[in-house]
Amino acid sequence: MTGISWRHVALWAVFIIFMLLLPEMVSKGTLRTVIFANFLAIFAISWDVISGRTGYISFGHPFLIGIGAYTTAILSYRFGMPVGLSIPLAVCVTMVAGTLFFLPALRVKGSYFALVTLAFMELMYQLVQVIRPDLTGGTRGMSGVTTLARGAVNNYYLSFGLMIVIAVSMWVLMKTRFGTALSAIGMNEESVRGSGLSTTRLKLFAFMVSAMVAGLGGAFYVHYLGSIAPRALFDINFVFTIIVAVLIGGASTIVGPMLGAFFLTFLLEYLRPYLPGAERYFIYGSIALVIYMYQPKGLYEIVMQQWRKYRVVKAGET
Amino acid sequence: MVSKLKIMLIAFALSFTATHAGADGVKVGFIGSLSSDAGRSALRGAQIAIDELNAAGGFNGKPIEYVQADTGEDVTEGIKAYEYLAETEEVDFILSGSIDDVSLGWMPRMKEYRIPTLDTWTSYIGIIDMIIEDYEGMETYFMNVASDEALATLYVDFGKDILAKKMGWDSVVVLQEDTAFGGAINGLVSQLLAPEAGIEIVDTIVYDIATVDFAPIFSRAVDTGADFIYIISSVNSQVVSSQYSKLQVPKAMTGVNVAALGQEYWEDTGGAGGGISTLSPVPSVGFALDPASAKFAETYAKRYGSSRPKFPHFNGFNAYWGVKQAFAAAEDAGGFSADKWPKEMLKQDIKLEKDGELWLRYAFWQPGEVEERTGRTYPHNIKFDITPPYDNGAPAMVVIQWYEDGTTAVIYPPKYATGEFSVPSWVK
Repeated sequence: MTGISWRHVALWAVFIIFMLLLPEMVSKGTLRTVIFANFLAIFAISWDVISGRTGYISFGHPFLIGIGAYTTAILSYRFGMPVGLSIPLAVCVTMVAGTLFFLPALRVKGSYFALVTLAFMELMYQLVQVIRPDLTGGTRGMSGVTTLARGAVNNYYLSFGLMIVIAVSMWVLMKTRFGTALSAIGMNEESVRGSGLSTTRLKLFAFMVSAMVAGLGGAFYVHYLGSIAPRALFDINFVFTIIVAVLIGGASTIVGPMLGAFFLTFLLEYLRPYLPGAERYFIYGSIALVIYMYQPKGLYEIVMQQWRKYRVVKAGET
Repeated sequence: MVSKLKIMLIAFALSFTATHAGADGVKVGFIGSLSSDAGRSALRGAQIAIDELNAAGGFNGKPIEYVQADTGEDVTEGIKAYEYLAETEEVDFILSGSIDDVSLGWMPRMKEYRIPTLDTWTSYIGIIDMIIEDYEGMETYFMNVASDEALATLYVDFGKDILAKKMGWDSVVVLQEDTAFGGAINGLVSQLLAPEAGIEIVDTIVYDIATVDFAPIFSRAVDTGADFIYIISSVNSQVVSSQYSKLQVPKAMTGVNVAALGQEYWEDTGGAGGGISTLSPVPSVGFALDPASAKFAETYAKRYGSSRPKFPHFNGFNAYWGVKQAFAAAEDAGGFSADKWPKEMLKQDIKLEKDGELWLRYAFWQPGEVEERTGRTYPHNIKFDITPPYDNGAPAMVVIQWYEDGTTAVIYPPKYATGEFSVPSWVK
């Protein structure tokens, strides 16, 4: 394992302490916004493992999130299965689906892979409406799915706990040789193969990890919302929100997708009182575009640039 | 460095805490689409009611504040919007102009916050079933539009009386848009209208909502040999209607066309939307209004006549009367408490008469009260009437006809009819 220092650990610790104290500092309405940001961060991290690292751009990530969400919702809501059992099962089912998702990556890449994954999502959107609507709730979905916690504070801690465990785990994983190899695939897959590594195995593992995170996030998400509908999950806007969060925050990092998720969620919610209608999406899109044009590597890189500048100035002073 | 970090942290925390100062009075929140005609109708209907209440002294002598949260007709945005109204704005009462799956999305939040909520557009019977199953949890919820099951029951009568008996039709081809709404209505048509009215569905054609060329679809529909086309369209409905007219499709077309529920329909179709009929909740375009509703419609037109919808959709009326009732109930309950307000809301009963007979009614079915025709209960749903002569409430729906000259009329049920069902002149 390379590149982990005490400073990294200290920064994570400061962040965790700050987030744990957040309910003491902010309103419940703000906590609700943070909860959505936490979930978006989980989905963005999951997407980044496949697409940000390996370069296999997925437009169908809600396929995986939706399988996790629907599996636990059906098992708990229709069959009365305890959530403690339905969530792990949902994650396992999502990982199996992740294998399906992986198959096209054996033959196609680039825009073709993106379109195939989009087809996965569209297929799922159609299937949940027509196959066993008595289980899926059909077009209207299900309302009244068991929630794991009540109130903004409890749900905040739950979603933050999940997000931070996933983020730190993924951060550590990406610091290993596996993470380096994935990034190398994104740069030049042939070279990685030429160096003797099995890119198929590496990609399969990346897809499994991504599916696990997506399944976990999707399952907890539905038990937070308390409802599920095909239009809410298998939607192109949902895909774009995830992708924009990663790109604005900074792809191929863990902190980047988290930053992007928080930035986008808060931007939209803070605009709500001033621009209650669709106009806020225009502002949101414009700001996202300006940031992306200013620094294509995202907010993470902007922060790092400032940090490097600060250190240079500090070094000059001493 | 430390002091700079401190300042940054404080600024960050302060930016988080920036919430909106509530007024001294009561706060009403609107949840729904701010860009759809139906959503804006409800938004504006409630605004007019609130302005009238404020002009009369507000609530308990304090002004009523009105805030809005857009759902964009998106389920997740709906949940965020409900949370925003509940936790950031801390509203006392929520008026909803949401569609079915959006309402179902925020329903768990309503149960959690127990904020009195009135839906003016969602008509899903599944929500009424949720009230029956979990009365305590759902007690703060009311729906002042007739549930879809009641609407479908009355629509079957139209099928029997007009389509089957008067026109002699016994086969239909269903043209359904590929949406949640389309699928749900198609289910009702296949399960109720066809078997009950003795009309056979010979084919179902599902089309994409982005379709711009309906010629091949109409061609396939005509080839089925069915007596008429049953259209189910809620998105871009003016496109399918205007092409039906321009292509002079040689089959009659009736069904559900959401664009045709508003007066802008004629303008939207470029004057080529005539010859179709659609079911509509009441009051609809072409509906003869009672004096009180006519007064509201006049106020609405004066105030919003320059931007669409220039005339309120049915849920604009529902929002107007619903807000009035919600505040009357709050007066009696001493506020919007989740324990007392629902009981007072259940007692509300506005009877609107026209020419001495009951025309519209804003009251609610009581828990346990059985509707005779369907033999089931509809707690907290508007007190509709689905049995002629409709002297216990307004009918669950009416059927409206758009004629080729751009005029409209209600054609069913007979008590409310201002015109007759007709097929376009090009249909033999």
